[in-house]
Amino acid sequence: MKHYEVEILDAKTREKLCFLDKVEPNATIAEIKNLFTKSHPQWYAARQSLRLDPKGKSLKDEDILQNLPVGTTATLYFRDLGAQISWVTVFLTEYAGPLLIYLLFYFRVPFIYGHKYDFTSSRHTVVHLACICHSFHYIKRLLETLFVHRFSHGTMPLRNIFKNCTYYWGFAAWMAYYINHPLYTPPTYGGQQVKLALAIFALCQLGNFSIHIALRNLRPAGSKTRKIPYPTKNPFTWLFLLVSCPNYTYEVGSWIGFAIMTQCLPVALFTLVGFIQMTIWAKGKHRSYLKEFRDYPPLRSPIIPFIL
Amino acid sequence: MVFTARFLLPPPAPTPRVSPWPRLITLTPPPPSSYPLLGRAHSASSCLLPGQVEIGILDMAAAATAVSSTTKGNGTSGRSGPSEASGPRKKKGPGPLATAYLVIYNVVMTAGWLVIAVGLVRAYLAKGSYHSLYFSIEKPLKFFQTGALLEILHCAIGIVPSSVVLTSFQVMSRVFLIWAVTHSVKEVQSEDSVLLFVIAWTVTEIIRYSFYTFSLLNHLPYIIKWARYTLFIVLYPMGVSGELLTIYAALPFVRQANLYSISLPNKYNFSFDYYAFLILIMISYIPLFPQLYLHMIHQRRKVLSHPEEQKKYE
Repeated sequence: MKHYEVEILDAKTREKLCFLDKVEPNATIAEIKNLFTKSHPQWYAARQSLRLDPKGKSLKDEDILQNLPVGTTATLYFRDLGAQISWVTVFLTEYAGPLLIYLLFYFRVPFIYGHKYDFTSSRHTVVHLACICHSFHYIKRLLETLFVHRFSHGTMPLRNIFKNCTYYWGFAAWMAYYINHPLYTPPTYGGQQVKLALAIFALCQLGNFSIHIALRNLRPAGSKTRKIPYPTKNPFTWLFLLVSCPNYTYEVGSWIGFAIMTQCLPVALFTLVGFIQMTIWAKGKHRSYLKEFRDYPPLRSPIIPFIL
Repeated sequence: MVFTARFLLPPPAPTPRVSPWPRLITLTPPPPSSYPLLGRAHSASSCLLPGQVEIGILDMAAAATAVSSTTKGNGTSGRSGPSEASGPRKKKGPGPLATAYLVIYNVVMTAGWLVIAVGLVRAYLAKGSYHSLYFSIEKPLKFFQTGALLEILHCAIGIVPSSVVLTSFQVMSRVFLIWAVTHSVKEVQSEDSVLLFVIAWTVTEIIRYSFYTFSLLNHLPYIIKWARYTLFIVLYPMGVSGELLTIYAALPFVRQANLYSISLPNKYNFSFDYYAFLILIMISYIPLFPQLYLHMIHQRRKVLSHPEEQKKYE
């Protein structure tokens, strides 16, 4: 069997970093990365980007050496992606924060509001309801991270955890401060407004969960296959007929519900910022779907039916 | 020896497809003058398009201001397709119509700031003192500094290859100081600190806009380039001092009048304390200023000491 030789150069400096000989032709990029780690232990596989061209796209871990357009001596260019952290870790951290932080405000832990309010409880039902909804939402997210989602990527750059946590934790604290404030003003239209908003919230939570399950079922465990999602028997998934990323649609819907329920401007702002971000993601996802699948249903919009 | 494909490592995405906080950093060396309140960054090369703002440092500030687009923030190629590497900058410029418009825009702005400069000098000569000169140039200052908002539009429509987010951040901080501080708190208008930043801005902007004008016309005199990359050494600290002192002077009046502040209880369960906000703004100078200043010093070294290597830093 003809063995390959692989030399790995730094993409920026073209410095020779590693030379591997006797590499099996059917070796995958993942295996090559592991070999590279042996000689440069500080660059664990997750932070390596190997490519055929210094300015080209990264090769996938599943790519097989002999299928690449290389001779028997392959030259790969290496780029350090920086310290990496797993998606699961980031998600768990960024969701656990809001769960706990909101509760600190809800229970009016000392030093947040005036001392005479320490550990007091709000007299408004909607405040208790809001705590239940908010907590439910983040518990749901944590459980989904652990048991439902099948991530395409294992890691992301380390700095993301700081940015993400600042965003989630910061907004959670900001919203919780006002909702649980002793001077909180309940919604203008009282019980009616709260009931309607709660219904919207609950339906959207169910919808969001349904989509997550549907997406999970598209992909067998441990794989990274990508398929077009379609509506299932679950009516909440019928939104797939009109939208590429109904999980985002339902997510925005949940927060709109929460904003109406609490009638709190910071919540509305959080909803707006989240909506902008999710729209960007949805558009990207939609574009990827269109690029990858020729028979992608034309009726679908990225996030809002017909509009966006 | 034998490598079986049993590695189940997931591929590291160069930038994650759906990372919640996409990177705003661009990877090309940013030119100086990228400090928020003294003008925007531009590229070193004389034949490059004006308004290229690629500052890795402002990533944190910009991240705090807005959610931005996914994956990469490669401001050089503007909003073009994803590219993970900092490849060669695309030098597709604006079309001839856009170039003509930009030349006119930059000439008008240069003229406008010259008017302000002349106004200051004349007022000084007439009054015999440098106090309270703000009033004599108040209107053109407001007009031309606010007019810089157009630069955000230029980035948004793509005739200037800078990051919309960074440009917005920088222009808005100037506009903030003009309207939300100096205009709103009348008592600070006679402060000397106002003159400090007005002078710093005036000199900077005259040079910056003329730099752009010449760049667009592909004929940049070295003196202009030198001025842009040297005078900041004095002008930037001067401007920052003026701004900080002005905000500081405004504080007691803001507190007294509860300016732009809302308190609880209210229907929308929201509160805002402008006084605290201004203090936060002042504090934000502490991390931002040294970084940007040092960055510009580095850029200066690169740009002015290797004229034949300029092209690398376009």
